[in-house]
Parts: sequence; C-alpha cells; structure tokens
Amino acid sequence: MSTLLVWREKLQNIYSKYSIYIQKALQFLAGLIVFGMINANIGFMEQASSVICTAGLAVICTFFPMMIMTLAATALILVQFYAVSMPIAVVSLVIFFLMYILYFRFTPKKAWIVLLSAVAFGLKIPFVVPVVFGLLGTPVWIVPAAFGIMSYYMIDLVKDSSAALKSADASNMADSLMSFTKQFFVNKEMWLMIAAVVISILVVHLIRTRSVDHAWKIASAAGAATGVIIASAGSIALKLDISFAVILLSAVLGIAVGLVLEFFFFSVDYSRAENIQFEDDEYYYYVKAVPKIGVAAPEKEVKRITGERPKKQGGAEKPAEPEQAEEKSDAEKTDEILLTRSLSKELGLDQEKDKTE
Amino acid sequence: MLDKRKIRLMTRAAIYEKKYGEEDLKITGYYQKDYVSLNVWITLIWMTVGYALTAAILFMGCGESLVEGITIARMIIIAAVALGIYLSLLVIFAIGAGSLYKKRHTQAKQRVKKYMRDLSRMEKMGRKKEKNRS
Repeated sequence: MSTLLVWREKLQNIYSKYSIYIQKALQFLAGLIVFGMINANIGFMEQASSVICTAGLAVICTFFPMMIMTLAATALILVQFYAVSMPIAVVSLVIFFLMYILYFRFTPKKAWIVLLSAVAFGLKIPFVVPVVFGLLGTPVWIVPAAFGIMSYYMIDLVKDSSAALKSADASNMADSLMSFTKQFFVNKEMWLMIAAVVISILVVHLIRTRSVDHAWKIASAAGAATGVIIASAGSIALKLDISFAVILLSAVLGIAVGLVLEFFFFSVDYSRAENIQFEDDEYYYYVKAVPKIGVAAPEKEVKRITGERPKKQGGAEKPAEPEQAEEKSDAEKTDEILLTRSLSKELGLDQEKDKTE
Repeated sequence: MLDKRKIRLMTRAAIYEKKYGEEDLKITGYYQKDYVSLNVWITLIWMTVGYALTAAILFMGCGESLVEGITIARMIIIAAVALGIYLSLLVIFAIGAGSLYKKRHTQAKQRVKKYMRDLSRMEKMGRKKEKNRS
C-alpha cells in the first residue's frame, strides 16, 4: 500500500509540474475518441468522416475550452444526420436546442459531462457513469448524464435505420420525420437506461456523503448493483435485448473505477478515526474525524563529501541585515502570513502540503 | 528589490481576473434584485420556447393517437393538462432560477469585494514606496 501511495505522490508531483501539457494531451485524446466514435458510427458524409477531419477537429478543440468540443461534436452529428435525411437533422437540432435551454444555459462549463456519458455508452461501459458522476459530482449531474444517454441512443437509432431513412423520398419526408420522432421518444431501452443511471447516481451520491466507514467503496458497489438490478429487471419486464454481459462487466468495471477514484481523491485511514463528542450552550456535537493518508515521495539528494563548501552565487556574501528584519512590525508579519495562507489555499498548495504531512 | 507581499497580491488578483474577473464585473454591474429578476425573466422565456418545442416534437411523434377520434371535451382536457404542466414548470423554473442567480450575485459580489481590497492594498503599498523614495 505504501508503495502505491508513494506512486500516487509521484504522479501528483508530475501532474503539478506538467499539468498544462497533460491536460492538453488528455483533451486531444478525448477529441479523438469523441469525433472518432461519431464518424465510425454515423459517418454518412465522406468529407466529414475522414481521418483528417477527425484529427483536425481534435487538434482544434485541444486549444479551446471543453464547451467548444461539445459544440463541435453536436455540429458534426447534425452534419452527418443531414447527409442521411434533412428531417432527422431538424428534429435532432431541436432536441439539442432543448438540451441547451434546460442545462447548458446554466452551467456551460460543465458541458463536457454530456460527452463523457455518451462516450461511456459508446464504449459499452454504461455503469461506469453513475459511479464516476456520483462520487465526483453533485445530484445535478443526472441532467447531463441523461442528455448524454439520449444523444447516444439518437445516434444509435439513426445508425440502425439509416438505410430506410436514406431511401425515403421527398413525399415521405413528413412520414420519416414523424416516425423518427416517434421511434426516439418511445425507445424503451433509452428510458430504462436513463432511469437506471439517474437512480444509481443518486444512490452513489447519497451513500458517499454519509459518514459511514468506507463510504466511497460502499457507494461504488451499491451504485453498480442498483444499475444492474434496474437494467436487468427492466430488460426482462419490457422484453428488451440488452446484453447481460455488458451490464455485468460494466458494473464490475464501475466498481474498479470507483476504487481507483477513492485512492486518488479520498485516501483516508479509517482505523485511526476518532469519534468526538462535545457541547456548547446551544448544541451537542458528534464529530467524526478521519485522518488522511499521505506519504511524502522520496527525493534524491546529492551530498558533497569532498569538504569543499559550495560557493554562493553573486560573489562576496552580504552581511546579514538584522535591523531591517526587526523593523517589520507585527501587523505586517501577520498580514504576510494571512496572505500566504489564502494564496496557497487558492492555488491548492495547502492540500498538497496536508497530504505530504 | 522584489516585494514578496506585492507579488502575492498581484498573483491573487491575476488569478481572480483570469477566472472570474469579466463575468463578476458584469454581474455586479446590476443590483441584486435587477440581476435576479432579469435572469428569471430570460429563463422563463427560454423555458416557454423549450416547452413549445417539446410539445411540437411530442405532437409529431404521438399526435396521431391523440387526434384520433377526438371530441371537444377531450380537446379541452388535453389543453388543460398542457396548460397545467406549463404553469407548474413555470413556477419550478422561476423558483430555481431565482435562487441560482441570487447565489451567483452574492458570490460575485464577495469576490469583487476581496479583489478591490487587494487592489487598494497594492495602491497603498505603491504610495508608501513612492514616499520612501522621495
């Protein structure tokens, strides 16, 4: 365990050193996966589904906020739909517009969460979504999760019925518009998966915020189990064709991802937990304090054994200036300490320090 | 010589400007009441548009079964249900948006206050330096 903790510290150090490059690399990778998946599934327009377009979009989106990637993904989906049939593109545009009205208007910076849930469904790991969202997010994340699932099933529907939709001539446009809308809204599998994921997110979040020991582990397992139960029961009751292997494997993977997240974001030692009780004039307090686990990464130190003292840069040493130091008033010192504290809090340095301690 | 305290203040101010600066100054340009009511109205308008679009899409998808053998009484019931849902959504959105934008204004105001205090500190330090020089 201590080796793992040392590795975690090392990883954190590397991340803090090269965070900007790592973030951009991850953003580029996310772009490749998102645009690649869209083009692989519904690449109806040749120019838009070429490798150059996929890589180009990923490169462009790397240098912009994640909201731009969401918009680009939406635009690419609409272009591909337009290549199949205009009415479908129109209906999809309206659905995306509704998503904007209901969610993106309020939190545009969290738009990428929609992509995450759609990608997870595309990779056939649906129950990783509730575990990750429940552990790291808030209950509001059920909205982008649901929108991501809707987007995935919209793409899936067009992919499955593309031949029929393409062959529809101008006179059948209205019919295809109506049938697509109907098929989308009465897609039982979509609503079942939305229900399973939404309930699982709420379960994970509810358990994770309790003060029980190993709350994160219990939350991950409970969330994955809830998802499996709802999806399996719904699949049997509604006679749907959902693969049980996918459900079970994704649930197991969800639990594994939950453990990894706990290791990185909530590493505590429950064996040293303290339950304290005290009171003041108005309240009784029951406090549970759980210490964090932190191991300092060993640093290589070069020791000089030649006896030569390293020369200080800048030539002759300056005499100390004790008078100047004493001049600092107590108020200034206090001010400085407060400033340092608040700045390190804003930069998140205090958390790192806590962990190393 | 580099002034550590000033560098810290300037870093904090720069972080603030990068993260929230523009948005916060826009928000605090309004009184809280004005900001909240303006945004609640905008939200309600968007919600109305969204509701109309949803109704249109649903009608396109399931309209046939609704229209089949329709009577005036049934039409009135459908209209009443649609209106009821619309009004309840209107109330929910108004309350939700009201509390959200109120919270946003309060937070922005607090951040701007802190930022201004830092600026005035820096100004004082600058003046002190000038005085020492002269």
